Amino acid sequence: MSLSLLLEKYDVSTEEGLQKALSEIEKEETEVDEALSGALSRACVLEGRLRSASQAYTKLGEVKADAQEAANMVDRTAALAKDVSAKVRQLDLARSRVAECQRRVHDLIDLQLCSAGVEAAIKAHDYETGAGHVARFLSMDPGSVAAARARGAADPRDAMAKAADTLRDHLVRKFEEAARKDDAASVERLFKLFPQIGRAEEGVELLAKYLAAQAEVTIRRASVVSDANSDAAVFADALTRVLEAAAAAVERCRSAAALHAPGLLPRAVHIIQPTVCSGARRVYRELVSRRRVQPGHAARAPLSALAAEPTLVELALAHNTISLYFTFLRRKTEADASSLNDAAKKASKDAIEKIIAECDLMRAAQDLLGHYLALERYFLEENVNKALKMATPQTGATQSSLVDDIFFIARKAIRRAVSTGSLEGVCAVLNDAGALVERGAAALRRWLRAPQDVLPLPPPPTLHTPSAAGVLDAAGSLAARLNRDVDAQRDLFLAHTNETEAGGEWSERLAAEACAEADVLVRSDSDRDKLQSCAAGLAAAAAAYRAAHELALDGIKAALKPRVVAWAEYIADPGVEPEEMEEDADALPIALDTLLESARTQLSSRSTEAVLLALLADLAARAEARILHHHYDREGGLVVERRARRLASWAGGNIPGARERVSRLTQGAALLALERLAHLQDVLAPACRLPPNLVRDILARRTDFKIEDIKRLKF
Amino acid sequence: MEDYKFLFKVVLVGNAGVGKTCLVRRFTQGLFPPGQGATIGVDFMIKTVEVDGEKVKLQIWDTAGQERFRSITQSYYRSAHALILVYDISCQPTFDCLPDWLREIEEYANNKVLRILVGNKTDREDREIPRHIGEDFAQRHGMYFLETSAKEAENVERLFMEIAVELMEQAKCKELPKYDGSLGPINGKTTSVGDSGCCLRS
Ligand SMILES: Nc1nc2c(ncn2[C@@H]2O[C@H](COP(=O)(O)OP(=O)(O)OP(=O)(O)O)[C@@H](O)[C@H]2O)c(=O)[nH]1
Ligand SMILES: [Mg+2]
Repeated sequence: MSLSLLLEKYDVSTEEGLQKALSEIEKEETEVDEALSGALSRACVLEGRLRSASQAYTKLGEVKADAQEAANMVDRTAALAKDVSAKVRQLDLARSRVAECQRRVHDLIDLQLCSAGVEAAIKAHDYETGAGHVARFLSMDPGSVAAARARGAADPRDAMAKAADTLRDHLVRKFEEAARKDDAASVERLFKLFPQIGRAEEGVELLAKYLAAQAEVTIRRASVVSDANSDAAVFADALTRVLEAAAAAVERCRSAAALHAPGLLPRAVHIIQPTVCSGARRVYRELVSRRRVQPGHAARAPLSALAAEPTLVELALAHNTISLYFTFLRRKTEADASSLNDAAKKASKDAIEKIIAECDLMRAAQDLLGHYLALERYFLEENVNKALKMATPQTGATQSSLVDDIFFIARKAIRRAVSTGSLEGVCAVLNDAGALVERGAAALRRWLRAPQDVLPLPPPPTLHTPSAAGVLDAAGSLAARLNRDVDAQRDLFLAHTNETEAGGEWSERLAAEACAEADVLVRSDSDRDKLQSCAAGLAAAAAAYRAAHELALDGIKAALKPRVVAWAEYIADPGVEPEEMEEDADALPIALDTLLESARTQLSSRSTEAVLLALLADLAARAEARILHHHYDREGGLVVERRARRLASWAGGNIPGARERVSRLTQGAALLALERLAHLQDVLAPACRLPPNLVRDILARRTDFKIEDIKRLKF
Repeated sequence: MEDYKFLFKVVLVGNAGVGKTCLVRRFTQGLFPPGQGATIGVDFMIKTVEVDGEKVKLQIWDTAGQERFRSITQSYYRSAHALILVYDISCQPTFDCLPDWLREIEEYANNKVLRILVGNKTDREDREIPRHIGEDFAQRHGMYFLETSAKEAENVERLFMEIAVELMEQAKCKELPKYDGSLGPINGKTTSVGDSGCCLRS
């Protein structure tokens, strides 16, 4: 307790207070003394501890020195280990060099052995062994020889190369000998050795030469046509034989070389092909002169279209045979190169394409196609001319087969063109056929003149007022009686009408057929475009036929017009005796039945419907107009309404969509038959088909309706 | 249907080697092919151009000049709207053959076909046929005339564009031969071919 606190706590002004403070101070003094002596007693313990700590510190110094030494030792060990592994690596290298040296020594020994071995083998006629040695030489590490030379030794290859050359010369000689003797077994055996001595190309060439020589004999024999005047396709057959012999030679070469020298087929074909070409050319020349297909050939003209057919077939066949041969070459070349890399495959393909493009056989094929096309065009023209001549309308003729004939011819020509195997040929024939097919359409168009009573629509029953139409009818039937050809004319016209329709369908069918049939000849997108574009020429012809067909139908409609006029008048006529009412309303449907029946038997259902639809619309429109020329009482109105209703029900029952065409008339007639104007809405519901003015005009034809009432009508 | 309003067939004829294929490739692909081989039969190319904002599709038939392809090429004359007859200004014989070509055209082509005479290879130094000789010939035979170089791309674009323009005008004036109506796809709708039918609308 501090002094100031004591002074506050105790009243030091008093004795008692001082006494108390003093005793308090004394008490504290004893406490401090006690604490001091406690601290002093602990001081020696601390001193002891301090001593032992300083001893431990000295020990640590020693430990550190030890650790340093250990670290140094580890470092030294690592350096040592590194040193060792470098030594091991050097050792490895040395060992591999030794192995290489050994191999080279072996190679060199072999080389010596090889060149000696080759010579020995040649002497012993053991070419297989000789070739084996050369093959070993060729497979040797080039370093060996270089190493030997580097030490100044004589180039050991010289001896070997000399030996290999000798072997090659021997092989060639032996091969040629075997070829001369036609010793197929030896040829095959020797051929296999060439790839081994690194001369695969030379072997293939020798083999090809041998095969070409062999094929030449076969081809010469095959190209002779003994019965040149035969109508059978003897030249095409000869060509087939020639190309079969050629194909056999190519295939033999391919199968012999497949294993040992792949990718070399074009080289072989290059050698064999001239033989094939000259054989084929011989056949071609014979064919052209015997079959008289040379352009400008004097004897060509008398060749009738009929006589041209076998020749056409033969030319097509001959061309196709050549196409097939070329396809064969392409396929075999592809197979031959199938084991090679892409670049080599392409090289092989390019090589064969070049051979094909440039060989004389290709030119012969092009010439054949040219002759074929010229003759095919002649065939088409002659036949179409003939068909046109035969179909030219003559008195009494009732039938026509022009379109059938033309399309028969066109189809035949197009199919034959497909059989040539040439898309180019198909396109050209499609072009020509399109032109000729169109000529048919043009001819029909010229001939289409509808006779007056082309289809029978009986006249309306004679009314109390003889109409102009009645007079016309009488004149018409008189003419019919006088002119016995009228029937024939009518039949022919209808036949032509049907032909125009068939022609349109045929043209499109032919175009689609041609595209489908020639699809096998299409090799690219542009090929397809070309084919379709040429086939479109036929579609153009289709349009020409369709236009002609429209014209024919227009002719029929025009021929029926006088009767339609008469019937329109009849419908609108108010006068009829009450007892004749039933009969009267049936007259038009009966007449239409006659027309429909006749049309159905003579025209297609599509044409029939087209004609009748047009006729009904025309009839209704005219009748509607005629109504405005008459006056009606209610009776008269009912008569007209009954006729119109009968007409509508006939139309609805017989021709799809025809009821619509007469609905205006029906409504107009119903207006005429109104009992009272107030019933107007019954007639106009559900829809008013007539313009409001016309409704009023029609109502005004009723003598018993008042104009003012009609004017006041609201609808 | 494709997006074009008019379709015209243009056929190139003329002796072998006068540069028909080069002209076509210059126009359709914009290049002068090195080592162009002789054409075999007939090649077919398409290019759509624009005339007065309307798409015009040109179907170009490049025929082989070599004699032995004549029967093939003749079949293409009839449906042509325009025939380009090409000769080589540096090769007299190709010019001398023109009358023969005209006879072919007379025999096989539609008489209303648009005919253009083209003297090609103007880039060559060894010209043999002066321009006015060609021009005279064309005038005498009622043909258009143009000199071109497929190599230097001279007048090539113009040749085909003028044909397109002229044919389009004809089509619009209904002067084209009647069969043109329907060069669309076979099964496509074809326009009518009546006396009046002419425009190649598709
Ligand atoms: N200098 C020059 N050479 C040209 C030109 N056009 C074509 N040629 C060359 O003439 C040669 C024949 O060209 P093509 O386009 O193949 O001739 P083509 O008329 O198509 O011949 P065919 O197909 O056989 O009827 C080629 O060597 C061309 O390089 C040209 O404008 N100038
Ligand atoms: Mg060309």
